[in-house]
Amino acid sequence: MKIALYLAGMALCLALAMPAFGEPVELTDNLGRTVTIDQPCHKIVFLVENALNTYYSVGDPQSVLAVGNNIFKSELKMPFFEAVDPDFGQKGKIGFESGLVNLEALAAEDPDLVVLWATSPEAENLKAINDTLGIPVYAVFVTSIDDMYKQVEDMGIISGRVERASDVEAIMKGYMEEVTSVTDGIPDEERPKVYWMWTDVLGTTGRNSGFNDIIYQAGGINVMNYWDNDASYEEHPPVPLETLISLNPDVIYMWYNENLDPEDVINGTDFAGWKDINAVKAGRVYEIENPFLFDAFSPRMPMALMHLAKNIQPELFADLSIDDKLDGFFVEMYSVHYPEYEHT
Amino acid sequence: MKIEYGRRWQIAVHNSSFNYKGMLIGLFLLLPIPAFLISMMIGTFPLTPGEIVGLMLARLGMDLGYPSVYETVIFQVRLPRVLMAMMVGSILSVSGAAFQGIFRNPLVSPYILGLSSGAAFGAALSLGVIHWLPVQISAFLFSLIAVGAAYFMATTKGKTPVVSLVLSGVIISAVFSALLAIVQIAVDEKSLQSIVFWMMGSMNTASWSKLESSLPLALAGCLGILILRWRLNILALGDEEALSVGMNPEKYKAIFVVAAALAASSAVAVAGIIGLVGLIVPHMLRMIFGPDHRVLIPLSITFGAAFMVLVDDLARAALGFEIPVGIITTLIGAPFFAYLLRATRAGGWE
Repeated sequence: MKIALYLAGMALCLALAMPAFGEPVELTDNLGRTVTIDQPCHKIVFLVENALNTYYSVGDPQSVLAVGNNIFKSELKMPFFEAVDPDFGQKGKIGFESGLVNLEALAAEDPDLVVLWATSPEAENLKAINDTLGIPVYAVFVTSIDDMYKQVEDMGIISGRVERASDVEAIMKGYMEEVTSVTDGIPDEERPKVYWMWTDVLGTTGRNSGFNDIIYQAGGINVMNYWDNDASYEEHPPVPLETLISLNPDVIYMWYNENLDPEDVINGTDFAGWKDINAVKAGRVYEIENPFLFDAFSPRMPMALMHLAKNIQPELFADLSIDDKLDGFFVEMYSVHYPEYEHT
Repeated sequence: MKIEYGRRWQIAVHNSSFNYKGMLIGLFLLLPIPAFLISMMIGTFPLTPGEIVGLMLARLGMDLGYPSVYETVIFQVRLPRVLMAMMVGSILSVSGAAFQGIFRNPLVSPYILGLSSGAAFGAALSLGVIHWLPVQISAFLFSLIAVGAAYFMATTKGKTPVVSLVLSGVIISAVFSALLAIVQIAVDEKSLQSIVFWMMGSMNTASWSKLESSLPLALAGCLGILILRWRLNILALGDEEALSVGMNPEKYKAIFVVAAALAASSAVAVAGIIGLVGLIVPHMLRMIFGPDHRVLIPLSITFGAAFMVLVDDLARAALGFEIPVGIITTLIGAPFFAYLLRATRAGGWE
C-alpha cells in the first residue's frame, strides 16, 4: 500500500513537472503555417522587433536568448529594453548579410524557436532556418489589428503564460476602446480622408494593411479606399502624385522621417505640387515623431491609435492627453514607469 | 537576312540625296516637340486636352476660370517632370555618345568610369547613414569622385590610354559597389528599401527646384560637348591620328570626360540610375545616321530627350501607378540592344 501511494505520488509530481520539461504544442503563425514547439520555450531568438516587444509584455525575459541586430533606431529603444530585460546588453546579436540571416551565428545560439518577419512561407530566411538548421520558426506578418492581438496570444502560448497574455490583450483593448468607443459610429463620408506617407513619400499604406485599420479606428479613412486601382489593395503601394492630388486627402500622416518634416510638405519648394491638397492647405500634416512610443505594430498600438486620433479628430479628442496615459500604460504592460523606465 | 537589311538601311540613308537625309535629321531634331506635347496630355489627374491648352493660354494672360488645382497639376507636377525627363534623356544620351567616341568602343555608357556606382554609394550614404546630407548632393559628389579617381588612376606620365581608363573605371566601380554593399548591410530595412528604390531610377520626385539645381551643369556639359563635337571624330580615330592632325588628344579627352561626367552626374543625382539610355540612344542614331559626331551629338540631345520622356510616360501612366523608369528603359533597351547586335554588326561601328 505504501509502495502504491509512493508511486502515485511520484506520478503526480512528474505530471506537475511536465510543463517545465516542455510539452509539445501546435500553434499557427501569421502565414498560416503550423509550428510545433515545446511549451514553454526557454531559448528563443527574436529576429523581428515587434514580436520582441510583445514578448517582453508577456513572457520571461530570461527566455530571450538572442535578438537580431536590425532593431530600427536602436539607440532610442535601448533604455527600455535594458529596463525590461536587465541582461539585454549581454544577449547574442544575430547579424544579417544583404538581408540574409547569419546562419552560423544563429546555429551557435542553439535556440528552441526563432521568431522572424516573413511575408511568404517561401521567404529565404524562413526556409534556411527551418529546413537547413531544423529549428522551428514562427513567422510574423502583421497586416491587421487582429494580427496584433493574435501575436499577444501566441506569445502567451510560447512563453507558457497564457493568462498573462489574456491580461495584456485586455489592457490593450481597454485603451483602444477609449478611442473606438468615440469613433465607431462616424459614417465613412464624415471621416477625414487620410494619406499615410511612408519614408518614400509617395509610398503609402494600402487597403490590405494594418495602418488602414488603425486609421479607421482613429476616426479617419485611408484615402486609398477611394483609389480605383488594384494597386490600392497592396500593402505598400506607390501612388503617382497626380493621383494623390485628385484623391485630395484631408489629412497627411507621415511615418517618422529623419529627412522631412510636416513643414517641408506644407511650405517646402520640393512640395510645390502639393499645395492644392486639402491637408496642405489646412496645415493638417502630422508626423509620428517617436517611432518607439507610437509603434502601431507593437503592444504600444493603443498609444499610436491615440496619437492618430488626436490629430485626425481633434475636436472629439480635445481632452485626451497621451502624456497622462503613457506612464500608466507602461506600468500595466511592462511594470516600468515612463519615461524613466524605473521598475514598479 | 536581318544583317543585310540593317546595313542596307544605313547605306541607303548615307547614299540618299542630301534633302532626304537632311529631312530625316530635321525630323529627329524636332522630335522633342511632339513628345513634349503628348507627354503634357498624359497623366493620372483627369484633365482634357482642351483644359490643358486652356491652362497654357491662361499663362499668357487669358483667365478661363479653371480651378487652381488644374494649374498646380500642369505647372508644378507634370511640366517639371516632363522637362526633367527630357533633360535626363538628353544628358545620358549625349554623354553616352561622347564616351563612346572617346573610348572608341560601342559598349560604353556614361557609367563606364564608375559614375553610377559612385552615385549609388553617395545616395546610400545619405539615405542610410548621414541623414543630414542631401541625397542629390551626396550622389553628385560621389559620382564625380568616382570618375575623378578612375581618370587619375589611368593617367601616367601625362597620358591616359583608353584601355587603362576602361580598366580603372571597372576597378573604381567595383570599389564603390563594395562600399555600397557595406552600407546596405549596415542600414535598417526601411533605409535599404529607399536605397534600392533610388537605384532603380525614377522621375516621380521631379520638381522645379531639382530641375534648377541640375540644369546649369547639364547645360554646361551638353554645350561643351556640342561645341567641340567635331573633335570627337578625330579622337575616335585614335591618339596617333589625332596627333598627326595637330590635336592634343589628352587635352580633349580630359575636356570631354569632365563635360560628360558633370552632366551625367547632375542627371543621376536627380533621377537615380537609369540604365541603358546612354548606351542605346547613340546606337540607334549611329545605326541610322552613321558615326559622324557632328550629326550624332545634336541628335543625341533631341532624340534622347524624346525617348526618355515617352518612356517616362509609360512609367507614370501605363498602369495607373508608378513604375521606376529605370526598369522600363532596361526592359525596352535590352531586347533592342540584342536586335542591334544582330542587325548591324556591332551597331554601325564596323
